[in-house]
Amino acid sequence: MSSTAMTAGSWLCLVSPLAGTIVILLAGTRIPRVAAGWISTSSVVVAFAGAVWAFFGVHSQSGHRGEITTAWTWLASGSFHPGLQLLVDPLSIVMMLIVSGVGSLIVLYSIGYMHGDDEERRYFAYMSFFVFSMLMLVEGGNLLLLLVGWGLVGLSSYLLIGFWHERPSAVQAAKKAFVMNAFGDAVFALALFILIAHSGSVAFSTSFATVTHLSPATADFVALGLLGGAVAKSAQIPLQTWLPDAMEGPTPVSALIHAATMVTAGVYLIARTHPIFEQARTIELLAAGTGALTLVVAGLIALVQTDIKRVIAYSTMSQIGYMFLGVGVGAYSQGMFHLLTHAFFKALLFMAAGLVIHAVANEQDIRKLRGVGRLMPITKWCFLAGALALVGIPPFSGFFSKDSIVAAAAALGTWYGWIFWACGVAGALLTGLYTFRLWFLVFPGEPSAFVREHFHRSGPIGEGALTMLVPVGVLAVLATGGGWLQWAPKWHPFTDWLASAAPTLAIAEPSSTQEYFTSAATVIAGVVGIAIAWAVYSERRIAIPHAPFLRRTLEHKFWFDELYAAIFYKPAELVAAGLRREFEEPVVLQTGTDLGETTLAAGGLMRRIQTGLLRTYVLFLAGGAAAVVLAFLIAR
Amino acid sequence: MLGPGVAWYIALAGFLFGIGVLGVLVRRNPLIVLLSLELMLNSANLALIAFARHFHNGAGQVFALAVMAVAASEVCVGLGLVVALNRKRLSLDVDRLSELRG
Amino acid sequence: MNALVLASAGNALVWIVWVVAALSLLGSGVAVVSFSNPFFSALALIGNLGSLAIMYMLLTAEFVAAAQVLVYAGAVMVMFLFVIAYVGPRREEPWSGGPSWQTVGAVVAAGALLVEIVVAVGLQAGHALGGSGTVGASFGTPAWIGRVFLTDHLLAFEITSIVLLVAAVGGVILGSHTRRVDPGMISPGTAQQREPEAEVVR
Repeated sequence: MSSTAMTAGSWLCLVSPLAGTIVILLAGTRIPRVAAGWISTSSVVVAFAGAVWAFFGVHSQSGHRGEITTAWTWLASGSFHPGLQLLVDPLSIVMMLIVSGVGSLIVLYSIGYMHGDDEERRYFAYMSFFVFSMLMLVEGGNLLLLLVGWGLVGLSSYLLIGFWHERPSAVQAAKKAFVMNAFGDAVFALALFILIAHSGSVAFSTSFATVTHLSPATADFVALGLLGGAVAKSAQIPLQTWLPDAMEGPTPVSALIHAATMVTAGVYLIARTHPIFEQARTIELLAAGTGALTLVVAGLIALVQTDIKRVIAYSTMSQIGYMFLGVGVGAYSQGMFHLLTHAFFKALLFMAAGLVIHAVANEQDIRKLRGVGRLMPITKWCFLAGALALVGIPPFSGFFSKDSIVAAAAALGTWYGWIFWACGVAGALLTGLYTFRLWFLVFPGEPSAFVREHFHRSGPIGEGALTMLVPVGVLAVLATGGGWLQWAPKWHPFTDWLASAAPTLAIAEPSSTQEYFTSAATVIAGVVGIAIAWAVYSERRIAIPHAPFLRRTLEHKFWFDELYAAIFYKPAELVAAGLRREFEEPVVLQTGTDLGETTLAAGGLMRRIQTGLLRTYVLFLAGGAAAVVLAFLIAR
Repeated sequence: MLGPGVAWYIALAGFLFGIGVLGVLVRRNPLIVLLSLELMLNSANLALIAFARHFHNGAGQVFALAVMAVAASEVCVGLGLVVALNRKRLSLDVDRLSELRG
Repeated sequence: MNALVLASAGNALVWIVWVVAALSLLGSGVAVVSFSNPFFSALALIGNLGSLAIMYMLLTAEFVAAAQVLVYAGAVMVMFLFVIAYVGPRREEPWSGGPSWQTVGAVVAAGALLVEIVVAVGLQAGHALGGSGTVGASFGTPAWIGRVFLTDHLLAFEITSIVLLVAAVGGVILGSHTRRVDPGMISPGTAQQREPEAEVVR
């Protein structure tokens, strides 16, 4: 029974969004716009139902091993024949539930948010397609399908970031995201090729089993390639610059792709391929270091951003940094748990911000939005729940997940473990600071002139359509209470659930003392951060420190974009210009002209004999015939 | 076989063909060009039938009949063209009809 | 003895017939290409076709000879004469017009082809085309031709019929009157603006 539930549930989960996409595409303008939204939503809800079904299937199975279901052999080449197969195990079930559950709420929210857009149908087709791609990624039963899903989410992310294709900035952002992800995809694919070449199989189990026989250098290469893919997809340093620009897409897209699901794919990847990373422990710690660095740097940059969505985007990078830190030190279930709670509260923050943006004529500059909370009380309280969850104040969900990660870093006990720990605590302080900077600037107080002028009521209670408010409310509840699923020192069902798929390394198993100590430290850091934000931005008791160089550095995001422009773009531009001047114009272009002119000249010569006189033609014909006969006679 | 051998017939066909070629090449009146073409076709027919006789093979005669049918088709189209030219008041001189000049 | 005399007499008779027919053939052929009036050329061609029919008889191709006279000398030439009468008499000097090298080239090409054929037949294939025996009584009869046509050469037969049909359709289209602008197809204003014939002729 459980096997049937797993198989059927997982396939239902995968196929339903794809079916939604196809239906919307084929129906075209024959259905009203709002119907496209509902088709998309219901397809994702059906996917969620399938995921729940599969969850109970795995749950009733002893040992929670999960299983692989194969639809058919997809490619066959000699001994190499990967099937179109899905893997249903505790890890993929978690991701399926997050993707389809949070995804269905966000797609529902989109119905209200995108109402009145010119191309709603295309939007919803893309949304369903993205959910399908993401499910393909997390359910893919072998390395090849993992790569397929990896590429598909990149594509759908590109499509959705550039959804408003009439905006040049959106197109630029989409291209940037695609190129940086393509870089990640390339190294990821190379790593898979090395792995497949050594194991001779694309199956997870076989290839993971052979990892132990790999030489350390090879294992390091494979892990490094996988990490490269993960870093690009999850917007970690040094491939992080695409994520803030990706905020050009519609806000629900930011909530779905750039907060809840796709950007966390890197975390999932490391958890999924943890046997490889465990063979290359250095690289795994490099992942943790990347996460630690990113969480601090992104937190610092978030301090000076003025666009409401960009602040949240940097906070996403920072939180994914936590997850990388978690899975990097070997605390896979802690990282995945933070992924879960983060999906709740970050989607909530984005969608609440979307409500604000929607209500004030698409203005995103937080300096203009002061006091909007007075007009939107429900949004205000929902945002506050998300913000507290983000900072990790008990009893909100972030507290339960984030602290475990930092504690796991402490459990390593080595010098780098304590550096990671310090980064985590500093990150908590920064999180409190930038989150509540945003909060104090936007929500409390008297509405600013801009807000009073541009605010317009909509929906039943004046804050937005019901389809937008319901998902925000549901997520607010989840962000508030979702963390109680697991409190590491006392109860840990989530870790137990993942134990068969991604067991936490023993060295990253913190003691209760470390847990309590870390919790205290991070909560205090968070509260201090909130307090500073309150003092600086709400009461203005402390002036913003005057440090022009630091400020400029942060505003330029540590000059990453400028650095990449100098390292990659400028030389490439120079080489391209040189090639154009030295090769393309004189050789390639000129060749075509020469060919044309030569042909023309030859044609001019041949034209002479085209007299148009029938008798001349016949004469040539007869002469030719005579010559042919003569040739035959001579040849005889 | 009584009378001259097949080679004589073939030679006769060759002469007839040459006359036809000459007619096509030097005459400018499309009607006479068509008539000269008939000469060429008939010389080929003569050769076909002579070879059929020589090899005791019916295919030659069958083919001669097919050539006759094709010749009839050709005359049909050719005369149609002449009539159309005439109706459009165009000169019946193949040298004047030089629309194909490059 | 008697039979031998008869045979040689028959042989001589056939030779005489052949020579007469051949002279008539070549003479009428030359006449076709050299008359300045196409009407006389066409009449000469009828004579040419008649001589050919005699040649076919000598080659035991009775059916083809009959078809030659009926189809060619009868139907096709009548069509020719009709068209010539329709077009009206147009005279043309045979050896004039066109570039000067055209005529020279024509003579050279035609002569070259003739010489080549004669060389091919006389010098290289002549010995293979020597006298051959008699053929069966049915060779060349309509019944035999019909059987061969509808058994061994059915495909050729059908293709020929299709070619004829296409040519007939093409002849009708070429000979039909210039398509007039249907007044019902376009608005009266544009119909009046058009120059009635010139536009269509071009």
